[in-house]
Amino acid sequence: MNRVPLEKKVLSENDRIAAELRARFRANGVLCLNLISSPGAGKTSLLERTLQGFSRDARVAVLTGDIQTDNDARRLARFGFPTRQITTGGACHLDASMIERAAEGWRLEDLDLLFIENVGNLVCPASYDLGEAAKVVVLSVTEGEEKPLKYPATFRKSALLLLNKIDLLPYVSFDLARARQNALEVHPGMDIVELSCTTGEGLDEWRGWMSNQRSLLAAAVG
Amino acid sequence: MHEVGIAHSVIEAVQAEAAARVGSVPVKVMVRVGAFAGVDPDALAFGFEALTAGTEWGNLKLEIERAAGDELDLIYVELEEP
Repeated sequence: MNRVPLEKKVLSENDRIAAELRARFRANGVLCLNLISSPGAGKTSLLERTLQGFSRDARVAVLTGDIQTDNDARRLARFGFPTRQITTGGACHLDASMIERAAEGWRLEDLDLLFIENVGNLVCPASYDLGEAAKVVVLSVTEGEEKPLKYPATFRKSALLLLNKIDLLPYVSFDLARARQNALEVHPGMDIVELSCTTGEGLDEWRGWMSNQRSLLAAAVG
Repeated sequence: MHEVGIAHSVIEAVQAEAAARVGSVPVKVMVRVGAFAGVDPDALAFGFEALTAGTEWGNLKLEIERAAGDELDLIYVELEEP
């Protein structure tokens, strides 16, 4: 019997492509954000409000992933920024090769910001590096405040938690302080922004967070 | 639910290793799965079984070592060699 050590990541091929993408994004000064949440937490609405807030000449693009339909891409394309749908045809997450294919033909030097809206799922997307600068997890107050404890991988790997739909707090039993505490338990020091896409509350803080990330990226590239 | 895809990647890695060693038959592969990997070890074992049962890889055994971080690593493969 011959035991051959492998000592590599199971997803090493995905990680290789992701590393290439990350290098290309960085070289072109593109801040790439990978948005993850359960279905219905409000990723698409968040992107709508976010895109709406940009001036027409902002250098922004969107890749949006779903198992089926191009509804999200149609919703997001209305704002005039380059938008492409990735239809996974059953896969519950995006992987790096899908991003590579979907972004083909886009001139990265013409972009400052690339949003990737992952498939609605709090489990599987956490395993796949897409070459993003940061993962952003969206948790809405109509879900449970225990989500960070139940899906620790996603919360641990995300740089920012967006607590969404806070306009609904008077109508639900969601414990905001508890949610924050749970998130910080699995990811100490995690950034947290509370917002509502309906009232617009917190959107400035979210934009501030993005612009801070862009500055960090620029400083890192030098 | 992406564990079948992960299992497929494990099998591909074993196949590549076996192909590089002519005449060898892989019998066991060891994978390390961390608690924060976002991969359920039982689902991975189930997916692996589903993909290999009744195929030429039916005798290949998957062993899973649990870890504390976000590891999802191939540790080793054991092969019978002529």
